[in-house]
Amino acid sequence: MPTRAAVLAAWLVSLAPAPAGQMRSVWDGVYTVEQAQRGAALYQTHCASCHGVALTGAEAAPALTGFEFRSNWSGLPLGELFERLRSSMPPEDPGQVSARDKVDVLAHLLAVGGLPAGPAELARDALAGIRFEATKP
Amino acid sequence: MARRFRLLALVLVPLVWVLVSGDGRLAGQARDSGGEWTTFGGDLASRRYRPFDQINRDTFGDLEIAWRFKTDAFGPRPEFTFQATPLMVGGVVYTTAGTRRDVVALDAATGELLWMHREDEGARGEGAPRRLSGRGVAYWTDGREARIVYVTPGYRMIALDARTGRPVPGFGSGGAVDLKLEMDQPIDLETGEVGLHSALVIAHDVIVVGAAHLPGGAPKSRVNVKGHVRGYDARTGKRLWIFHTIPQAGQPGDDTWERDAASYTGNAGVWTQMTIDEDLGLVYLPVELPTGDYYGGHRPGAGLYGESLVALDLKTGQRKWHFQLVHHGLWDHDVPCAPILADITVDGRLIKAIAQPSKQGWVYVFDRATGEAVWPIEERPVPAGDVPGEWYAPTQPFVTKPPPFELQGVTIDDLIDFTPELRAEAVKLVSRYTLGPLFTPPPVSRWEGPLGLLMVPSSTGGANWPGGALDPETNVLYLYSFRNPSVIGLVHDPSRSDMTYVQGLAADPNAPKPAPGAAAGGAEGGGVALTVQGLPILKPPYGTMTAIDLDRGEIVWQVPHGETPDAVRNHPALKGLDIPRTGRTNGRIGTLVTGSLVIAGEPGFFTMPNGLRGAMLRAYDKATGKEVGAVPMPAPQSGSPMTYMLDGRQYLVVAVSGAGYSGELLAFRAPLPPAAR
Repeated sequence: MPTRAAVLAAWLVSLAPAPAGQMRSVWDGVYTVEQAQRGAALYQTHCASCHGVALTGAEAAPALTGFEFRSNWSGLPLGELFERLRSSMPPEDPGQVSARDKVDVLAHLLAVGGLPAGPAELARDALAGIRFEATKP
Repeated sequence: MARRFRLLALVLVPLVWVLVSGDGRLAGQARDSGGEWTTFGGDLASRRYRPFDQINRDTFGDLEIAWRFKTDAFGPRPEFTFQATPLMVGGVVYTTAGTRRDVVALDAATGELLWMHREDEGARGEGAPRRLSGRGVAYWTDGREARIVYVTPGYRMIALDARTGRPVPGFGSGGAVDLKLEMDQPIDLETGEVGLHSALVIAHDVIVVGAAHLPGGAPKSRVNVKGHVRGYDARTGKRLWIFHTIPQAGQPGDDTWERDAASYTGNAGVWTQMTIDEDLGLVYLPVELPTGDYYGGHRPGAGLYGESLVALDLKTGQRKWHFQLVHHGLWDHDVPCAPILADITVDGRLIKAIAQPSKQGWVYVFDRATGEAVWPIEERPVPAGDVPGEWYAPTQPFVTKPPPFELQGVTIDDLIDFTPELRAEAVKLVSRYTLGPLFTPPPVSRWEGPLGLLMVPSSTGGANWPGGALDPETNVLYLYSFRNPSVIGLVHDPSRSDMTYVQGLAADPNAPKPAPGAAAGGAEGGGVALTVQGLPILKPPYGTMTAIDLDRGEIVWQVPHGETPDAVRNHPALKGLDIPRTGRTNGRIGTLVTGSLVIAGEPGFFTMPNGLRGAMLRAYDKATGKEVGAVPMPAPQSGSPMTYMLDGRQYLVVAVSGAGYSGELLAFRAPLPPAAR
């Protein structure tokens, strides 16, 4: 069983971006259709009341799709977007949705954003090595 | 020495006010000795103006960080939407902060934390419709006592001693007033859907309290809490009056509700900032629409005071006048921001005016004593839709002057046209949507089309809660607006709501599960990112700063606000094209006007000239709109800039946050001239 320090170290490593040359991008098919469908159901339950059923945002919460959303996250590792979800969403109690489920929600965001699905599911420990890019590199 | 002076000033300034005021007019409200910023809007007229000019075109580019204040620790987790405008009184900066909406007092010269106040409201706070740090606090003094007053996420009003941060025992019960009580309707204290995240306004010892709800595109029910507005005694916390924003039976305006709709319909709150004319003794309420942002079939009738500007007697809450900006709204065009008071001269006639910016792109200008429109506002016929059960207003008010500051409605000509290919793609994409002018009603969403209304301005503007700023020397109003469509369709979904229709988009009948990987298009639960090769579907400017002369009712200048996003600058389809600055969309950008400048930060991240990711704080020559300076910030502006003078130096403070950058106050000041260093 890993020590707490080892878990923490692994987590910190997962946050650190990989060297640019080794990074994939969100255009490389980094999630699966099934995963995004699981994420869609989770999104409707936990996120849609503030961010809208179509992720387009509302008075109290920003859009999670569209040009500005992409622009504001472009260039960052997907791990940062995940960390934002993990630490602060949903705002009434971020602990009510597990980290694993939040990765699925992230897959849903990518799917809605028109980013291609691929053969393998998005995994939490891979997030730091995937770059969010607004336009296809 | 300076520090001691400030502390001394903190004690003495209220006394000095008593000695010098004399006229009594200003007693018992936020007082400004000249260098301070004592209420959200800079003054109760909501002008966000100070004549200071130490930060000017020559010094703006050299601004230095005086201090910065991170808010991560003020709540169980960091906040990424820090919207407050801090106050500065007597050398102390006051603001709400963090996901708990704590209140902090900071040394205005250094940012050092002087005190903090925290309310842990448990489930009541966590389930609140409007959480996070909110827009800030209000300041009150009677010359002896000084208080900071704010509303918690759980909708309790707290009065704190401004010097110590301790609750004021004589206010409400132990310093707190439960705002879910005395609202003339039963409200569950824990789960009742009402709160408030705006900053309070106080004048003549009266605190005016609004109400906010969850976003209303798809409410669970046609029945909701009514957003009545109330006045409270600033000394005791006792309720003085209530104004029913949805009239009760027999009250004026009741006849604008058909059937029994007024009895169960809720919302119609004032979630944004209010404005006060201290001389006239009037408070001005920008009211949102009643329950159901895009479907009004359960609330037939024009529905006063939905989407109205209402003037009340500050002391009694009695209505003096009102004007409904949208009859029976179907577009979520809540009146979104504080109206701005301006004493204008039109054709040689002095008018005490009030100017109301709006989501829909107009500034509505009235005589603020009478409610009479300064320039004609014409009732013109508008088209009815065919949504079953809907009630359509036959006419809507059209402003004839000043001209709209933002695109109203959308046609093919407004679509992206950087290249013919991009335009062609955009035309194909919008073929499944309804296009039309302002007040085109939303349709029932059908997969075969129309999926929804392509609505411009969007449901969030145009302008939004930051509103504008006014230079009282020239009567020029400055405001930021953005251009980005909302897609509004209606669906029947009993699993989500007892309303016949709520916002949503039809699903593909042949594909029960949305197909990930599909780009724009859309399905319920799927997205409608209306982009063309990842680019915005509309032509730029995506964000605009506008200057409007309120004496003449004319636009003086407009410039794109916000640097061209990286995704446009680096887009492969745009290589070789010379694209001028596009501005940035979707922001909630407040402006500040000073002796010579209009100042506002950018709403989005980009790669700044220094190579770092961030956003610029920009300064424009207020006469011409020419940019005269810019300084980098680590994140976009999310609050609104304010300024103060302290020990002879001008400070500029703004809240920033966004994407992965948590909330922070940045305080800038001009460097000392070489001789003074």
